[in-house]
Amino acid sequence: MTQSPHLTLSELSYYYEPGAPAALDRVSLQIPRGQFLAVLGHNGSGKSTLAKLLNGLFLPTQGSVTVSGMDTRDDARIWDIRRTAGMVFQNPDNQLVATQVYDDVAFGLENIGIPPEEMPARIDRALEMTGMSQFKQHAPHLLSGGQKQRVAIAGILAMQPEALILDEATAMLDPQGRREVLDTVLRLNREQGITVVWITHFMEEAARAQRVLVMDHGRIAMDGTPGEIFSQVDRLRELRLDVPPMTRLAHLLQERGIPISSGVLTVDDMVEEVKRLCPSCLSS
Amino acid sequence: MPIVLEQLSHHYRSCPRVSVALEDISLTIHDGELLALIGHTGSGKSTLAQHLNGLLEPTSGRVLVDGEDINQKGARRRALRFRVGLVFQYPEHQLFEETVFKDIAFGPKNMGLTGQQVDQRVREAMARVGLDFEEMKDRSPFELSGGQMRRVALAGVLAMQPRVLVLDEPTAGLDPRARDFLLGDIKRLNQEGTTVVMISHAMDDVARLATRVAVLEKGRLVMQGSTLEVFSQQERLAAMGLDIPDGFKLARRLRQAGLNMADHVHPEEIADALAAAIRGGGGDAA
Repeated sequence: MTQSPHLTLSELSYYYEPGAPAALDRVSLQIPRGQFLAVLGHNGSGKSTLAKLLNGLFLPTQGSVTVSGMDTRDDARIWDIRRTAGMVFQNPDNQLVATQVYDDVAFGLENIGIPPEEMPARIDRALEMTGMSQFKQHAPHLLSGGQKQRVAIAGILAMQPEALILDEATAMLDPQGRREVLDTVLRLNREQGITVVWITHFMEEAARAQRVLVMDHGRIAMDGTPGEIFSQVDRLRELRLDVPPMTRLAHLLQERGIPISSGVLTVDDMVEEVKRLCPSCLSS
Repeated sequence: MPIVLEQLSHHYRSCPRVSVALEDISLTIHDGELLALIGHTGSGKSTLAQHLNGLLEPTSGRVLVDGEDINQKGARRRALRFRVGLVFQYPEHQLFEETVFKDIAFGPKNMGLTGQQVDQRVREAMARVGLDFEEMKDRSPFELSGGQMRRVALAGVLAMQPRVLVLDEPTAGLDPRARDFLLGDIKRLNQEGTTVVMISHAMDDVARLATRVAVLEKGRLVMQGSTLEVFSQQERLAAMGLDIPDGFKLARRLRQAGLNMADHVHPEEIADALAAAIRGGGGDAA
């Protein structure tokens, strides 16, 4: 499979008002088709602005954004762009409009003029992909936060997008809801090849991405694999970000003279490292 | 003993699907402690929080604040309730005044304090959450960052000088830096003598701050104990769909793999124990 860039930012700048500081400052970035990219950064770092530029909700002040080759400044293509790169927001309650899950997923399809006879198959498939089929007839407001977000994602999947942009889609959810939503999106990425831009505050979520971007002051401050990014504990702190608990523990062990590798992100990684450093410590 | 719950039960008559009942909860919140209240979504944590300052009245049982029933009729009722400050989830959604000062002053004004007393209260409350009085007092709360807005909301409750502060998911939706600031504020308030009850899903935050943990499930109090005692019971918590801090998961995995490694709450302690174990080649580690 060729890794042609799917989403491309070229020298992209964005100002909320003339004269205000740049929310994004000459950012260039290529996101290959099928990649799962996590974007981290403290509040005000520019990551939400980036999300809104990726599907044409905001238009560049300078530079350009292309989605599957379409320029977001091209008025004639804007609906194709939004259908190609679907967006999920933070608050699930602001995204659901209908009184039944099924109708909610149908809403977007009606909007883009899908013929009624095509809709049931698309809706069923979208609900299946998000594991929400059994809730088809339910009222959205009685679902859990994680289920609501999965309905919101189904609404976008029904439009058959090539990319999903999730702007802190788990920030308002409890741990179970967060897992549900992330697992759903990881599966869509793996099985359907959908490109994912996952904007988050949660390091343990970013740890599951293929690539992690850290934003600061409207620029890309770090770009690499989770292992490369999270091993730079001091740099992350400078950027006012946290590191996963196990990465911090690895750092503390290094300070205690234990030659542990820097790429530790999860409990599994740590167990492996302990095995490597002290084979006699563990019997299995 | 600032708060004692005696066989507290709460049943909703009208909307059973939305709200959770509480069943026979007996719990003492000790002076000066930082108690974390954990439980699955829908376990009744937020309902319990609203009982602590009389926003809800029990169907049966009592809530005692400093030995007095918070739901008694008459003049004492209001004064008792002022001793317990409740900070809701996403409290910034309840900011409504045109300036930070007015928003924080709302509570103390409502208590009938004089203008000068109110002014003093607002200054103190802002200082306690690290908001500069001169710089912030005239700003609109709505042009602040999410973390600042939340601190304004917290200051509004602190300005009433409660002895007990009840916080419902205080760090939800904040970025790591804002979360660190706020957790620092909470820790300091507790060290300065305010009793804190904190509802949280963030187990690593709980491990970092709490002295004691109480666990709710389906409206019942099912576990309580020191942070170490509660998080050591991973199977029971997992059965309730609850997570534990990563440090406890690690210790358990290492024990299963044959390493003698005890549970610890704080990262420094975990690092000490693990470093000793690795150096000792798997011999006894504390």
